[in-house]
Amino acid sequence: MAKFAALFGFGAILLALPHALSFSQQEILVFLTINVLLVASYRLLTLTGEWSLGHVVIMGVGAYASALLSKRLGIYVPVAMLLGAVTAAMIALALSFPLFRMKGFYFLIGSFAAGEIIRLLWKRFRDPFGGPKGLKKIDPMPDFDIGIYAFDFFEPVSYYYFALAVVGVSLWVMWRIERSPVGLTFHAVHWQDRLAEASGVNVRAYRTLAFVLASGFAGLSGALLAHYIGTINPNSFDVEQMVFVLTWTIVGGTATFYGPILGCVVLTVLNEIVLREAGFEQMRPLIYGLILILSVLFMPKGLESLVRGAFSGRNARKNKAGETKAME
Amino acid sequence: MSPPVLEIDDLTMRFGGLTAIDRLSFKVERGAIHGLIGPNGAGKTTTFNVVSGFYKPTGGEVRLRGETISGLRMYEVARRGVVRTFQHSTLFAELTVLENVLIGTHMSFPPNIFAAMAGVDKANRRAARARAEEALDFFGLAGLADELAGDLPHGHQRALGMAVALAARPDVVLLDEPFTGMNPEETRRMMELMVKLRDTGVTILLVEHDMHAIMGLCDRITCMSFGRLLAEGNPQEIRHHPDVIEAYLGGARHVA
Amino acid sequence: MVELLAQTGLNALYAASYTALVAVGLVLIFGVMGVINFAHGELFMLGAYAIVAVYADWNLPYLVAVAVGMAFVGTVGLGMERAFFRPLRDNPLGGLVASIGFLMILQALVSMGFGVRMEHVPPVTQEVIVITERVRLPVFRLAVILAAVVLLAGLWAFLKKTRFGWALRASAQDPEAAALQGISINQTARIAMFIGAALAGVAGALTAPLISVNPHMGHSVIVTAFIVIIVGGIGSLEGAVIVAVAYAFVHTFVTTFFDGVIADIVGLLLLLIVLIVKPTGLFGSTDRA
Repeated sequence: MAKFAALFGFGAILLALPHALSFSQQEILVFLTINVLLVASYRLLTLTGEWSLGHVVIMGVGAYASALLSKRLGIYVPVAMLLGAVTAAMIALALSFPLFRMKGFYFLIGSFAAGEIIRLLWKRFRDPFGGPKGLKKIDPMPDFDIGIYAFDFFEPVSYYYFALAVVGVSLWVMWRIERSPVGLTFHAVHWQDRLAEASGVNVRAYRTLAFVLASGFAGLSGALLAHYIGTINPNSFDVEQMVFVLTWTIVGGTATFYGPILGCVVLTVLNEIVLREAGFEQMRPLIYGLILILSVLFMPKGLESLVRGAFSGRNARKNKAGETKAME
Repeated sequence: MSPPVLEIDDLTMRFGGLTAIDRLSFKVERGAIHGLIGPNGAGKTTTFNVVSGFYKPTGGEVRLRGETISGLRMYEVARRGVVRTFQHSTLFAELTVLENVLIGTHMSFPPNIFAAMAGVDKANRRAARARAEEALDFFGLAGLADELAGDLPHGHQRALGMAVALAARPDVVLLDEPFTGMNPEETRRMMELMVKLRDTGVTILLVEHDMHAIMGLCDRITCMSFGRLLAEGNPQEIRHHPDVIEAYLGGARHVA
Repeated sequence: MVELLAQTGLNALYAASYTALVAVGLVLIFGVMGVINFAHGELFMLGAYAIVAVYADWNLPYLVAVAVGMAFVGTVGLGMERAFFRPLRDNPLGGLVASIGFLMILQALVSMGFGVRMEHVPPVTQEVIVITERVRLPVFRLAVILAAVVLLAGLWAFLKKTRFGWALRASAQDPEAAALQGISINQTARIAMFIGAALAGVAGALTAPLISVNPHMGHSVIVTAFIVIIVGGIGSLEGAVIVAVAYAFVHTFVTTFFDGVIADIVGLLLLLIVLIVKPTGLFGSTDRA
């Protein structure tokens, strides 16, 4: 009951939040919501132990696919978004055949190369991808009315509510997957793939499943982004964006579901409050690079471990037991 | 007499120029405890790795109930009923004891992602949990279900390794040095458990250095040396087999 | 047609020379430290900016600027070794991720210092050697090729003939055995990192007058270097040089007669195929991953 009340209160805060913010802050809130989905999907990918450098490009696949489907074929935007997610998942499935023959940093380099190939294809083929300038005037979400609220997608607040709903459902699905026997098997594949395989687990299939699911959600986040900003190009999904995702993930820590989300929220808020207010906006890549190095060096378990540490002692064992219960 | 459950037929395994297994053949009878012994480097663990599908043999084949299983992937071999444990304590150290055994139930209760998302796999999860708890009970680990596997003392880790294998309800279980690092009391208890396990109809093939345990436990023993079959028989025959004595003593003399 | 072929051949050799310098540095760092330096393209970029600052802005002689660039970038390499590669020695993936972070820092610092616009470096010399009426070879390109050959030969002599070189090769082959022999891991890592970074820096310095210099120029350099070192067998210096030359020729000719982006795609596909079929590359033997 208390848990339900807490959830309800949290939901109310999220709904009320944009009304306490300025217009430009509302826009940032929309990006933050989309990035939360991206970074949560990245953690799903890392559950089986492989780290990809192509995840942001996969997000871009969803963005390009959804934009083109709505622009060229006139498909209704929400449907195009879902199809964008499916396209990203399918591309990931195709990439899994070469990539999962690699491990460790060969996988890192391989995923980077695969991502670069996709970006070069966008650059090379003006038709349909628009070349280096990318796609412009991507159809916005059509306005609609659900009775209690009229969505006017000219307003960031409306898009925020829409994205919040999509991201909320996606996170819930990812949470369910992780807390299911499927999620437990992902962890098993990560920690001891030989023992998992001896127990009858098709390790390659599970790695592929995590990769495809994560890519689908990344594609969905890309579609959300494309129809919000209205213009995308190959550089919207370059290494710099990947560094942001890596930084959020590593700063937050991958041990828990909420770690990377926490990393994303905390760093974005810090960035907006501290850097923008102080006029150091251009220093963002510098500061992210620095934070990335420092967190690899000094916080191997990430922010999440600090949060856990605060409740440690009395609760640590109980938490672990509670997680077990939820997972089986 | 029933046909052998596992047949190793003319098996050869080469790594570059090194021949680890050289035309090895032996049979494992259903419901037996079968020991595989030999001096260090005889090729026992390599044999395990081939039978369990970790390596693809260079020549020859392994048959389970007449069906060829050599060349299959490890999980495919497992799905046909041959499950192995590993040397040392190979466990999911970061997961709890119960979660470790739940992975062992993977084949009997395969997870379904759509059912999991829709929340309609409750019965499956309950059954998997019941099976896992049963396996923990069998090995006396029930009280430790929520401990992290990596935090367990060594003897318990070995037992947990077997519980993971057993939760899969295998027909044949391959145990790689199950008594290593156990004190005499733990070894004795583990031997009792293996007999109990055999009596439930599971066939056990084990590699082990503890001669006392092997002789007291096995119905039949195969002795290897330099990748080849040296001798086969019941413990009494093996104990007095001149080639076996030569192999062990000769090896010892050589080392000395 | 003959003129075009000769010109393209010269361009390919020129591309091969700086690609080989970058790739060899990357392989040296990987061989000795077991880590992939993702910021290697940005070290190249720093070398080019050394020319912008020392030669173009301060009007010092070009060769002085090259030497300054080489020493400066080598020193940056030492800093990288001390700051994160050394603490992350047991965590090569962590080292790689840290170098990605460092790449961002270098890009941002250069953008703040010089601006993001492209810099044009005035030509060092406009002289050409006239072979025939229609085949003219620019002296500067020939000089760059010559410099690369001299540097690589110098490196080869260093590795084969000196005690430091012997120590580097020993610890590349087997770090633990080398440590038992009394070779200091920190020492060899420092040397490898200094040389590797300095080679990237000098490559950037040598090419700066012929390309547009900008803070993001490292990206295509690192992509090319990855293709070369993986196809050549990660850890093989000879493989890196051979593949650098072969790749530069293929890439230059495809670019000239066909399309530059297609050439990049072909290279990356080649990299993926090698990773799938033989992760140790064409000339590699050891697998340190």
